[in-house]
Amino acid sequence: MTATPAAAKPGRAPRNAGGPAGLRAQHASKAGDRVFLGLSSGAAWLILVILAGVAVFLIVKAAPAIAANWSDDAGLQDTTSGFTLGYENFWQYVGPLLFGTIWASFLALLMGAPVAIGIALFISHYAPRRLSGVLGYLVDLLAAVPSVVFGLWGIVVIRPFLGPLNEFLNTYLGWIPLFGGSVAQGGSTLLAGAIVLAVMILPIITSIGREIFLQTPSLHEEAALALGATKWEMIRLAVFPYARSGIISAVLLGLGRALGETMAVAMIVSPKLIVSFELLTNDNPATIASNIANKFGGANEMQADALIATGLCLFVVSFAVNFLARAIVGRSSRPGRLRRVKSPSAKAA
Amino acid sequence: MAMHTETIALRSSEGLRAGRLPRLIDLWVAAGAIAVSLIVFAGFGHVDYVGGWLVLGAILYLVAIGLLSAIVEGRRKATDRIVRGLVTVAFLLAIIPLVSTLWTVIANGITTLTPDFVFGAEQQHYDRETGETTITPGVGPAIVGTLIITGIAAVISIPIGLLTAVWLTEYALPANPVRRVVTFLVDVMTGIPSIVAGLFAFALFTLVKGPGAFSGFSAAIALCVLMIPTMVRSSEEMIKLVPLELREASYALGVTKWRTILKVVLRTSIAGLVTGAVLAIARVIGETAPIYIAAGYTRTQFNADPGEGAMSTLAVVSYRNYVDPDPTHPEVTQAEAWGAALLLIILVIVLNLIARFVAARFAPKARR
Amino acid sequence: MQITRIGALSAIVLAGGLALAGCASTPSTTPTDGSSPAPTSAASGLDAIDPTLSGTITAGGSSAQVAAQNGYSAAFKSVATGFTLNYNPEGSGGGRGHFIDGSYGFAGSDAPLSADEVTKAAATYPDGALDIPVYLDGVAVAYNNKDASTLNLSASTIAKIFSGAITDWSDPAIAADNGGTALPSKKITVVTRSDSSGTMQNFTNYLAGLAGSDWTAGANLGQLPSIPGMDLQKGGAAVATEIQAVDGAIGGVDHSALGDLVAASVDGVALTNDGIANAMATGFAIKPNATPGDLSGAFDYAKIHADTTAYPIPLLSYAIIPAKFKDASTKDLVVAYLTFIASADGQKAGSTAAKSVPLPDSILEQVNATLATVK
Repeated sequence: MTATPAAAKPGRAPRNAGGPAGLRAQHASKAGDRVFLGLSSGAAWLILVILAGVAVFLIVKAAPAIAANWSDDAGLQDTTSGFTLGYENFWQYVGPLLFGTIWASFLALLMGAPVAIGIALFISHYAPRRLSGVLGYLVDLLAAVPSVVFGLWGIVVIRPFLGPLNEFLNTYLGWIPLFGGSVAQGGSTLLAGAIVLAVMILPIITSIGREIFLQTPSLHEEAALALGATKWEMIRLAVFPYARSGIISAVLLGLGRALGETMAVAMIVSPKLIVSFELLTNDNPATIASNIANKFGGANEMQADALIATGLCLFVVSFAVNFLARAIVGRSSRPGRLRRVKSPSAKAA
Repeated sequence: MAMHTETIALRSSEGLRAGRLPRLIDLWVAAGAIAVSLIVFAGFGHVDYVGGWLVLGAILYLVAIGLLSAIVEGRRKATDRIVRGLVTVAFLLAIIPLVSTLWTVIANGITTLTPDFVFGAEQQHYDRETGETTITPGVGPAIVGTLIITGIAAVISIPIGLLTAVWLTEYALPANPVRRVVTFLVDVMTGIPSIVAGLFAFALFTLVKGPGAFSGFSAAIALCVLMIPTMVRSSEEMIKLVPLELREASYALGVTKWRTILKVVLRTSIAGLVTGAVLAIARVIGETAPIYIAAGYTRTQFNADPGEGAMSTLAVVSYRNYVDPDPTHPEVTQAEAWGAALLLIILVIVLNLIARFVAARFAPKARR
Repeated sequence: MQITRIGALSAIVLAGGLALAGCASTPSTTPTDGSSPAPTSAASGLDAIDPTLSGTITAGGSSAQVAAQNGYSAAFKSVATGFTLNYNPEGSGGGRGHFIDGSYGFAGSDAPLSADEVTKAAATYPDGALDIPVYLDGVAVAYNNKDASTLNLSASTIAKIFSGAITDWSDPAIAADNGGTALPSKKITVVTRSDSSGTMQNFTNYLAGLAGSDWTAGANLGQLPSIPGMDLQKGGAAVATEIQAVDGAIGGVDHSALGDLVAASVDGVALTNDGIANAMATGFAIKPNATPGDLSGAFDYAKIHADTTAYPIPLLSYAIIPAKFKDASTKDLVVAYLTFIASADGQKAGSTAAKSVPLPDSILEQVNATLATVK
């Protein structure tokens, strides 16, 4: 990609912009530039301070729990709220929680992300033009539903709905580890929780995805169609490459929501601190966020610190996934570079 | 990012001389698939399991149309039809939970929406003779609390998030260490559990104001911590999508950088930015744990002062009434839970409408 | 003329003096000998509340107390209209934590402060903290089995069911508790809470106390140890709903959350208000406590078991206050409020709202005595 001369030094008014009036205008605009730069970098610094502050606070609170020898600590071996009883160290406690969080989020993404991308495609490319605004709005409505309501809906609608499916899967496909075990009669399964999570992350991925798909340069799309591509081929050739970075960001935001979702999972799933792949039972691995929500009310100070420490682990997961994603996207995040396309002739040459 | 070249060999069954399926074939095949699926389920004796035969019908449709099209029209067109089917199914899949959730909330909550409920505070009336306490539900204070807390959080987070995204995309060089740290922190914080944000805000205010520092402002800060990463991330993506040509054209005309950003870049991406902002607000408006940790809990008190005193929000009221119902009148508290939830959804819908109107007003006309 | 004026003046002075004397004998200074069954002074309960008292108490903790607190505060507020109670049912642990750091005027807790917490509380309140009983109810063993319209379970059977040793309704142990006939075979699903609760603390105290050989997990557990197939729900109401929905389910629920559910008789005693009151009278003893006036205690389950009219699984919840408040206005509000709770009117309001059991007068007297010493 070649940088055009005009972009080499953006922001500077051309030097001979007409005499004294022009010079005054230049000074004013330079001042405006400085102010704006100051504002935006100030905002970035502010965010740095706030988020770093949160991180520091969490580390300070979590450190005693991670460092302590759990078998000896009176607070952690306290039987009253008992959830830290019997563990020898922090990692033994957080291990199953990490598994549960990643497993539940993975299931939610597996079910939700493809559907969300499909919906975004539908709205941007397949739906009749006049309807796309309305349809987009409809899906945005899903984002309006608070997580408490999703929890209630999950209990009242999804759990009973999955009942017959659970029985069917367990009876006929029970030899697959996913569907084995003894079926939960009340339906408080991880499957129900994952489905509700998928529904919750749907609007995030769809909204951002839709915006991104809509921004594909029509020139590219029309060129592909003119060459005889079918609609799907056009999308694959012109839309997806352009949208790759944005879609991955959208999916990551959805994943972030799934990782941090507290209430809905806590209300729907019957949680235990185990590692299990069975989706249809009452013995489901707990997620870090829902575990904090469940246990915090009864926790003493040391146990509260232990819970915060599990929250810290969530950050590590979040960071790891984001890092991976940025590596996959593998491009600079400056605008415009996305659009440069190596022409086929250049490649063939 | 290369546009990969594809050599598409034209077989005789494809291209201009390939066969074509009749126009409404999709509908016919869909009808047939659903019919077959219904028969299968009737055979198992589960015709009432609507979800089941719909799913089976969709699968059968996709298989059938794919095969049919592959035979008559060719592989490429068949793939295209299957994708069209998948994408439509995906959309329908989204509509179903949407309709279901909205229907559940409306059906359960609509009867509670009386003016007393919406605008009044909760009344607890004690009858000395019988010793009974009658609770008349009212969420007026909760609505005020929701608007104040979410409003403050939005007013703080949206500009800060947007300006940071601008800085990250327009000003900061990739090697800038501050940029790296900010990006890292934003990435990490997208997954923060909401309860932890509440703890942070409460601890911060305890440090500043001393024990018992429950306040609406504290809850707003907790919500900011939740909103800012989403705001930054989504805004960044939207700004990156603005074509470089637009910026270059603006600079070539002698427009300064800040005016370019404001008038060209941000205006072009306004629809996406507004979407991101609404997403962020919609997420935090439904939070319960950070609110009751940072702002305490009150059932009856009307408090419009964000600096002092407990404040409750619609989400907290809904959750509390569900988890701790009144033993003597569980239906009343249950109805209050659903009513508060319905009000919350209505609030966000109104917000969404306003935001879209604003976006449409400011967006450049050339948008599709 | 002068005589009339003097007469009028003296009448006024006399009336004023009598009124002041009347005000001085409010129930805050009930006789401490404990012999009289109820406060016999002129004004008590609702009548003793100062209508000009106004302000907000910030409190929180045990969710078991929430309904009772609603009743108490509504009744209090009917006289002192400027009063508000903001009670946050965040859980006993959180409540105690907020009490220790000074955020709450009082904490509602299903368990008294632990030794560790007493030490921490001393940093904020050097004079110590007082645990005051304010709420009494029982733990019901609710079940859903159409084959058993009535059910009786002994302590050891309950222990075996909740520890996973018994997994089917047809088990001989259940039959033995119910006159010998075995129920049809059906899977038992144990339903319990996913969050910590005082209900379970009292429940496990009972199991450890009476069925120690079958229940090895220990006493005073806020949460039941996990067993395979155990169904955990968030909140007591959700547990009750789940038991209702699942055929063959059984679980421990707060008496007030029972609703339409059927409760089993435990050790031959059905769940009734009288049964719970008898259990409190027979089996509750105040421990020797470091801080004078601290009324935390424990149940002697063997004694309760010996009394055939006493329901075996009572539940007691406390309000925790400092022995010396940091500011006078909070102290006035909290003491007046708790004094009301400890009166007959207060207990009536709370127990009606929460469908719980009024505390016995002997306890109420001691509560009043303690409140008198609060500074």
